[in-house]
Amino acid sequence: MRNIKQLIFLFSLVLIWLVPAAIHAQGVSRTVTGQVKDEVTGEPLPGVSVSLLSTNRSVATDGQGRFSIQVTGDSPVLVFSFLGYKKLSVDITTQDELEVKLSAEAFDLSEVEVVVGYGTQKKRNLTGSVVSVGSEEIEKTTLQDPISILQGRAAGVQVTSNSGAPGGEMTIRVRGNSSLNSGNNPLFVVDGIPIESNSLSSLNGTENFGLNPLADINPGDIASIEILKDAASTAIYGSRAANGVVMITTKRGAEGKAQVSFNATTGVSALTRKLSVLNASQYREVILDSYRNMTNPEEPYWTVLDSLNPMNNGDVDWQSELMRTASQHKLDLAIRGGTKNTKYAWSSSYLDQDGVILNSNYKRVTSRLNVDFDVNDKLTIGQSVSFTNATNNRINAGGSGNLSVIRELLIRPPIMSMYLPDGSLNGYSLGRRNPVGIALYATHLNKSNRIIGSEYLEYQFIEGLTFRSNLNFDFTAMKEDEFMPSILDYREGYNTGAVRSTNNLTWGNENFLRFNRVFNGDHNLGALVGFSFQNWKYERTGLNGMYFPSDNIRTLNAASVISNKDANGVDINVASEHAMLSYFGRVSYDYQGKYLAEVNLRADGSSRFGRDKRFGYFPSASVGWRFSQEGFLNDLKALNDAKLRFSVGKTGNEAIGDYTSQGEFIVGTNYLDYSGASPSVMPNAGLTWETTTQYNAGLDVALLANRLTLNADVYLKDTRNLLYNVPIPTTTGFGAITQNIGRIENRGIEVLLSSKNLVGPFGWSTNFNISANRNKVKSLPQELLTNGYIQNGSYHILQEGLPIGVFYGWRFDGVYARDEDNVNGVTNGALGQVFKGGDPIWNDVNGDNIINQDDRQIIGYAQPKFFGGISNDFTYKNFSLNVFFQFSYGGDIYSEINAQRNAVVRYNNLSTDALRRWRQQGDVTDYPKPVRDDPMQTDSRVQSRWVEDASYIKLKNVNLRYSFSPNFIHRIGLRSLDAFVTATNLVTWTRYTGFDPDVNSYAGLRVGLDEGSYPQSRTVIFGLGFGL
Amino acid sequence: MLVLSGSCADSILDKDPISSFSAQGFYKSTSDAQAGVYGIYNAMQSTFRGNFAYWGEGRADAVETNHAGDPFALRQNTLTPIITSANWNNLYTVISRANYAIKYIPEVFEDETSALRNQLIGQSRALRAIAYFYLVRVWGDVPFTLEPYESVQQDLFLPKTDKEAILDQIVDDLLYASEFCSSSYGGERDRVLITRGGADGILTQVYMWRKQYGDAIIAAERVLDNPLYSLVSISNWNNMFSAGLSSESIFEVGYNEVQTNLMRVLYALGSDADYFPSQRFMDSFEDGDLRRPKIWDNTQVQPRKIWKFFGEGFNDESADPSANNIVLVRLADILLLKAEAHARLGQNQEALTLLNSIRSRAGLSGLDEEAATQGYGDVTAAIMHERSIELCYEGHRWFDLVRTDKAIEVMQPINGLSDPRNILWPIHEDAINRNPNLVQNEFYR
Repeated sequence: MRNIKQLIFLFSLVLIWLVPAAIHAQGVSRTVTGQVKDEVTGEPLPGVSVSLLSTNRSVATDGQGRFSIQVTGDSPVLVFSFLGYKKLSVDITTQDELEVKLSAEAFDLSEVEVVVGYGTQKKRNLTGSVVSVGSEEIEKTTLQDPISILQGRAAGVQVTSNSGAPGGEMTIRVRGNSSLNSGNNPLFVVDGIPIESNSLSSLNGTENFGLNPLADINPGDIASIEILKDAASTAIYGSRAANGVVMITTKRGAEGKAQVSFNATTGVSALTRKLSVLNASQYREVILDSYRNMTNPEEPYWTVLDSLNPMNNGDVDWQSELMRTASQHKLDLAIRGGTKNTKYAWSSSYLDQDGVILNSNYKRVTSRLNVDFDVNDKLTIGQSVSFTNATNNRINAGGSGNLSVIRELLIRPPIMSMYLPDGSLNGYSLGRRNPVGIALYATHLNKSNRIIGSEYLEYQFIEGLTFRSNLNFDFTAMKEDEFMPSILDYREGYNTGAVRSTNNLTWGNENFLRFNRVFNGDHNLGALVGFSFQNWKYERTGLNGMYFPSDNIRTLNAASVISNKDANGVDINVASEHAMLSYFGRVSYDYQGKYLAEVNLRADGSSRFGRDKRFGYFPSASVGWRFSQEGFLNDLKALNDAKLRFSVGKTGNEAIGDYTSQGEFIVGTNYLDYSGASPSVMPNAGLTWETTTQYNAGLDVALLANRLTLNADVYLKDTRNLLYNVPIPTTTGFGAITQNIGRIENRGIEVLLSSKNLVGPFGWSTNFNISANRNKVKSLPQELLTNGYIQNGSYHILQEGLPIGVFYGWRFDGVYARDEDNVNGVTNGALGQVFKGGDPIWNDVNGDNIINQDDRQIIGYAQPKFFGGISNDFTYKNFSLNVFFQFSYGGDIYSEINAQRNAVVRYNNLSTDALRRWRQQGDVTDYPKPVRDDPMQTDSRVQSRWVEDASYIKLKNVNLRYSFSPNFIHRIGLRSLDAFVTATNLVTWTRYTGFDPDVNSYAGLRVGLDEGSYPQSRTVIFGLGFGL
Repeated sequence: MLVLSGSCADSILDKDPISSFSAQGFYKSTSDAQAGVYGIYNAMQSTFRGNFAYWGEGRADAVETNHAGDPFALRQNTLTPIITSANWNNLYTVISRANYAIKYIPEVFEDETSALRNQLIGQSRALRAIAYFYLVRVWGDVPFTLEPYESVQQDLFLPKTDKEAILDQIVDDLLYASEFCSSSYGGERDRVLITRGGADGILTQVYMWRKQYGDAIIAAERVLDNPLYSLVSISNWNNMFSAGLSSESIFEVGYNEVQTNLMRVLYALGSDADYFPSQRFMDSFEDGDLRRPKIWDNTQVQPRKIWKFFGEGFNDESADPSANNIVLVRLADILLLKAEAHARLGQNQEALTLLNSIRSRAGLSGLDEEAATQGYGDVTAAIMHERSIELCYEGHRWFDLVRTDKAIEVMQPINGLSDPRNILWPIHEDAINRNPNLVQNEFYR
């Protein structure tokens, strides 16, 4: 420990801030002329930017690819750059006229580097499975966080939206769900720092989801995102890598003159679609029907039918009242450059984004400084530090309570008036809060400050042998405020408030030696050995209060009753800590780049497990064969590169509570004013890692002068010793205990195809990726399978042989047209009533003419059969166009929100489907009669009526950009000038009847559930960017 | 830097809980022992916050309801395995916490005869007995354990145990508590904690349930002789519940502004509470009963509020959450139980004396054997009727009907209850799903 402290001290002393020195030599002027051509076709290239290095001077080639530029200074160098082509520098000290041939940029694959654990590697030499998204791709979107950018752009990576709210949480899965607990998130590593990727928000109102911690990273700062998928790539991150690793690399400075970039965007967004609801008179008819249909029909005593009652004389379209066209603005400023010894990248951004629901807003300020400084030939030091300040005005959008705005705007009766006769808001009537009131007057505010930083020292002992030491930290301070004013409550003066302050610090230290050397020109040997330590500490402080004398003073000092417990009696103030100590190593070897091999080993020790079970070992091995270099393929000119890859390895998962294996006694279970304590977690000293063994086979092919590339992978992930919070009989005093149980398998295939369809003046390229993952629960402990399965929440079951995300309930086979149609006298339960005309026909699985628990069956599968994206890029002259489609096929959604939208029991408003409801004997319809007290459980069953096909194709992104010609921008003194427009979520083709099929109300295993999340919006953004 | 390897590694990775104790880290001191016992009472608060009425009144004849969910299902006798009151989780939480306390309190005290040690164990055992007493009355045979759960090696999937065996343990536990609990802790704690008197009071209820009238009389006598308890005057009758901690109270579950219960939701939430009085109940009073105007909102033709727990004239639509204590045992209950025991043993004179002490407080004339027989059929019936008035809505009525075998007779005309197997509640579906060794109660299979 002492050494670590010394190291911190050492690093604290290292703070680098150097201003670039721009030095330019001036001399005699002369004119250089020439022509630029395509290397392959030989055609002249118009519009190529020709600039003189170290000056502002630049020109563009004309229609014949010709240029003429004034040159001054000693050793002048011309830089030729053109979109889609590799940048070329030419020394023109001795030339006045020259012909230049440019090669298409992505065509040359040999030098592309990708970021892997603890280093980089040439993409062509990869033996594992890594997918990469570069900054050019990112710049085509106007998305505000790194996760949404990955949606549809990376094979094997499935991204779903938990919420369309600005800054809202997303679910990301790399190669499927491999864990039964909620620890299915990949590990996120930013510039080598493993960062916190779980939502820290603890005041979610009634929402099931939190905020997206990755939204703290400005996409404008990102140079590339790599997703490590197979065990060979991820095993170096051992115990946290079973769900894949997402490596985010930010932009760094390069030697040369400071480059200033400025980007400004502004745009609007609106709801993609409105859902149908009944109007006031239609609604009243349904309610009347529902009373008439009761077993003992009664007159509604509820005032709902009284259109003169001031509370109920409305005819409100709640969707229109709550939805708006929202605006967003963003500014980005970056200065990057460097001298021989110092490189710097500074950037700052400001985002102000309104949500489509009234009053929701997200503001974010980010700032970053990356510096690298060569102290001498041997020693380099540097740092990467980012700061993010975010303010999210959330509005209790999602979830299932009556605080949820989304549910209320769909199911709130239209007759409820917005205002009372005295002009005040009708804030609460008949058990429901006014959603407009919630959006406008309730507080649900989240403010956070986050610093992610790393400081490093790299020392080169000899050529090829370096030592590197990092000190990393990721600190978030979050404050949340909640307030429900009394105008939204039926009780006079009843208001509640809450405040939470959360500090989350993870820090770590990594030390490793890296060795790389080529022996005899053919043998490339690489090695890595190191160790690391990481520590996480979470602290939350807060209070709940009620009875504030006024709705206007919302700080807790005004509350007359204050509690340190939340509404469920759970302690608000908690702290917990977790540590991990790791050793890791890697050896890689290749012969002429033809035969490649690599082995990795990591040992992790985690404080979360019992003393004897702490350390886990995670090995991996991989081989590659570049068969395109074999003699027998030499004649095949069309084949530029071809490689086979195989890998196998083990990774782990430790995503359980910090003290789960020790068991817990919590304090604060008080009785009146007497302090109490009670057992809350049953200990399980035998807990250990969940382990995934993954096999991967891949093929990389480049054809036709590298214009066509294919990357394909097949994999098998076998996860055992699953950490699962197993429900146990409550007669033990506990609801569940975490155990290592069962086995899950994921197998799949991923294909990525890139093609330069047209090159030259009119360019067209296509990127297509598709992934299919099949997930299966291989075994579960027998004693848990009371009915052959585990009930997982209300809608899902887990069963051996089935995938995760199976919906289980009653199958709806239509509606009895008349009483006599129920020829077998099928009853609702053994002693219940006989189904009559207008009641649903439930599938009687066992044919006993009794509809009960035994008649439940599988009614849907949440996981898609395949998903992916296709991106087309067109360039012509100064225009570039990106059209990006994203798709998902074959999954189901259980639309709980549609169930609510068709349940009359709670006086919900219904969808217009209710207009075709069964009304009298003989009506042939698929919509049952509404019955007030739901005696036949028409509404309350989990049923196939609400299972819908979630397949969709989305025109996710269209980006049209105009880059002004260098001639023009040179005249106005700029380096570059771009104008662009981006549209997001433009069109969605789907059969799903909810807001959006890209939805997931839970972050955990209850996939494919739509409980009414904040809907996604259609956004159009205009932008202007220039460089100096 | 390589010191991180070896033994140092283990210490780096030793992380004890910060804001809580590890399972092994608790029960180290006498204050831990005391806190562990208060933790049991904490579970009592959750257990009874609404269920005391659902279990004790919801299926009986004194209430009416308009509310869907449990109130409706219980009133209409359409119980299903998914209603809230079919869930026993909180009762087993009480039992689990008590089992921990009973196992570990002895480790904290060196001296086996320590009074504190024994009264803490006594309280724990009494609370465990109360939880099991409700379990056997509501569900019959239920899973039964006296050990805390500390390892997955233990049998997690308990089958049912015969209710008589459980009742034997309940009696054992209460006898221990009756011997070792303090007779007084001073102040409010005499009412909100289990004292010797509290144990005796519950023991009386248990003996009456088991129809062991002689034992019930002995236990009740200990309560009657206890100087802590005396009947309050009729003017303070509502205060027993609205203010709590009365001299008549023997054991009440304490609540306050933040540890609240559902009393208002059950009985007096504006005009829309779960329960209002049934016509049958309102018609069952003798003329001149001073309690009649104190029990429900008599300003309404169709009363929508029950005043008993809040005070006469209570008409508060404001936001007060219910901080009322819930009285589980009080002197009038024990007096009447003792009276009933005497009556059932043919000792009518003793019975009538006790009965009349309650009647006279209510402003009613004393009954002799003849008047009782004339008015109610016999002395026992007169006492049962008196219980239905005096203890109304406190969670006794249904259990009185069941233990005196009157449930079907009384409820059949009201909601069609006819099958004796239907008297038990169904076991909640969730409990069945979690435990393959648990069989649903017969009527609900």
